[in-house]
Amino acid sequence: MMENLAIGFDLFFSFENFIAIALGVCVGVLVGSIPGLTATMAVALALPFTFNLDPVTGILLLVGVYKGGVYGGSVTAILIRAPGTPAAACTLLDGYPLARKGQAGKALTMALYASCIADFISNLALIFLASLIAGLALAFGPPEYFWLICFSLTVVISISGNSLTKGVISGLLGILISTIGLDLVYGTQRFTFDVFNLMGGVSYIPLLIGLFALPEVIDFYVKKASPIAVKGADRSRVTLSEFKKSFLSIIRGSFIGVILGTIPGAGATAAAFLSYGEARRTSKTPETFGKGEVEGVAAAESGNNGVAGATLIPLLSLGIPGDVVTAVILGAFMLQGLTPGPLMFQENISLIYAIFIGIMLSSVVLFVSGKFAIRYFSKIADIPRHILLPIVLMFCVFGSYAVQNQMFDVGVMLAFGLLGYFMMRINMAAAPFLMGFILGPLFEDNLRRSYLIAEDITIFFRSPICWIFIAFTVISLFIGIRREIRMTRARKASAEEATAS
Amino acid sequence: MTVTRRTLMGVAGAAAMLALAPSVQANDYPEKRVTIIVPYSAGGATDVLARKVAEGLSEELDETVTVENRPGAGATLGTTQAAKARPDGYTLFMGQVSSHGIAPAVYKNLQYEPLEDFEPIMHLITIPNVMVVNKESPYESVEGFLEGAQSETMRFGSSGTGSSIHLSGEMFKARTGVDMTHVPYKGSGEAVPALLSGDVDVMFDNLPSAMPHIQSGDLRPLAVTSLERSEQLPDVPTLDETGIEDLKDFSAQSWFGLLAPAGTDEEVVETLSASLGKVVSSEDFAEFADTRGATIVGSNPAEFTDFIETELDNWKTVVDEAGVTVE
Repeated sequence: MMENLAIGFDLFFSFENFIAIALGVCVGVLVGSIPGLTATMAVALALPFTFNLDPVTGILLLVGVYKGGVYGGSVTAILIRAPGTPAAACTLLDGYPLARKGQAGKALTMALYASCIADFISNLALIFLASLIAGLALAFGPPEYFWLICFSLTVVISISGNSLTKGVISGLLGILISTIGLDLVYGTQRFTFDVFNLMGGVSYIPLLIGLFALPEVIDFYVKKASPIAVKGADRSRVTLSEFKKSFLSIIRGSFIGVILGTIPGAGATAAAFLSYGEARRTSKTPETFGKGEVEGVAAAESGNNGVAGATLIPLLSLGIPGDVVTAVILGAFMLQGLTPGPLMFQENISLIYAIFIGIMLSSVVLFVSGKFAIRYFSKIADIPRHILLPIVLMFCVFGSYAVQNQMFDVGVMLAFGLLGYFMMRINMAAAPFLMGFILGPLFEDNLRRSYLIAEDITIFFRSPICWIFIAFTVISLFIGIRREIRMTRARKASAEEATAS
Repeated sequence: MTVTRRTLMGVAGAAAMLALAPSVQANDYPEKRVTIIVPYSAGGATDVLARKVAEGLSEELDETVTVENRPGAGATLGTTQAAKARPDGYTLFMGQVSSHGIAPAVYKNLQYEPLEDFEPIMHLITIPNVMVVNKESPYESVEGFLEGAQSETMRFGSSGTGSSIHLSGEMFKARTGVDMTHVPYKGSGEAVPALLSGDVDVMFDNLPSAMPHIQSGDLRPLAVTSLERSEQLPDVPTLDETGIEDLKDFSAQSWFGLLAPAGTDEEVVETLSASLGKVVSSEDFAEFADTRGATIVGSNPAEFTDFIETELDNWKTVVDEAGVTVE
């Protein structure tokens, strides 16, 4: 190993590689922070620039863009409630309320700390445990996946806001919308009403922007003034006690991210929400979540960044891309004439070590560039709303259009903006809707695949992993519902006390 | 109003200019960035090829050629958008077996006509599919697999309903009459792990995505689906060579080619065809194709048109035999 490491160092240490990582991370942060431009899109846009680069330099550029993009997604989620990526939608639950309290700097800094720590842990897992945990990707068949999704869906309890009933309705609505498009097994059209653009389903970026960012804009113009104006002159910092309080959540979130990153298709969004749900469940003050709890930002960001390094595990060790971004990176490897997989560890081990060294460095670069960026990004929160919101609206339109260069997606964004505004007015949380929308198809597909494989219900109980997630689901449901009942009782009691006095 | 000689000369001159306009345009082509629409997400086989072609064309045409990914609805979304694009030579399309072979046979209400709406330029490469089983599988040959299928229902994985991987399996099923359940996944990235872990028994995967696992010994190739053996797997027979009567002339391959929207100037098509010819005959492209087990075709527009017609007929037969329908 030491000899390979030494060759890897030799391969890595070049001016071009440092520049590639630094440039990649910076471009990623910038692109990721623009609503509608996702980390995937940033990596795809950077791909042609790798054609004429050395394999190590090219791959590091893409990895840098990816990591920067994942963090960048949280910036606008916190500042203007417009998540740059679906995973960042979880960050806004507490990040945006913090920004509205005039603590955008605190939210952004905590997001950065959590992202970098999770990224670092994820990288370590990639380097030292790749071959060991690569087996996880194969141990997860449709029934295991099905129960994982069931467990993830229990998070709806944690993100339902004040009413569990409304949260569940919101989640079910999300699942319903996710069924639009072509059916996986038979390819039949569902709820497309012969609209051609709906055949591929509802695009999640316009939906995301519409659901979260647009209601804020509509609300501002309907009420002519925002009820809670963002306070200017943000000097907030993350205190040591806040960091200590959040540390356990960050570590837990990182591991959730690593595990979900290793399973192809599980994704950063589920990791962020699961990490958030766990942080709230174990918190002594769960009622502060969703109202500007800095631990909530830490949990969400550690969850989605924990995925970033880990998705490279199935790619490098098995040749299986864990998500769309790693599929693009796989493409870059192929363009360089390299085929990721078990043989790569035998044939190109020094190259892999060089990439590993660069990936470790990317966490440091992310921290430095993030620190620098926060200073300027946090000023966005100080811009008066009557100037900021028209710009947000422009971003909403641009971001939705940019996904596929079609006006139809702008219409989708507007439609879900109106739905989001309606939900806001009746105090129905939008996050469960997103969870339902993203997890719904995974739930259905894996349920149906399991049946196709076995045509027998016992397949759902075939392995210890199934039983572990069944137990997690039951426990999570039980604790969550009990806590909600207690909190509802407490709210009623305090309301009665207030009326009596 | 009097018509002066000068006016007549002016009108004649303008008419001549107008008549000559297309050829002037073609001579100057390209004057701005050219885009290749890929109907899949970035990173897949079609995207990787399109980017390689874009790189080569950029050099040949001395103009930037970029790739635009428009995925969705089994490649039909991006294909429809390409069909409706302005036929000015600045929007091209990376067609493949799905868009110009399978989809027209599978989808009832397709929004494009594969030949009427497109101007074929060049059939670039062909990639065989390979019938693979897990290394733990008891089956060492196609005959053994068919024997096993007499006593148990086999499950075959695919990268999605209507993909060439799915329909190769359906074609095998229809020809041999074996009982196989189709288990669709979202892309090869999800389907290959299912085969490796034994959730499905067999797959008719594209050679490039199966190759690393064949080389590592995790997957066992039983046969390739092309009429000729693959250079990358010289010891693996074709389905046709297995001697099984039902599988005679079995041919199901993935192919890729560049097209333009119908109505694109003939000279522009010729310019593109000539430039592409240089791209595919380069050493760099040969190496690119070789690492993927792909065969370079490099046909002219007329040959490519004939090829698409044959493919449309072939897949229609397969789809009709297999009874695969999409509403």
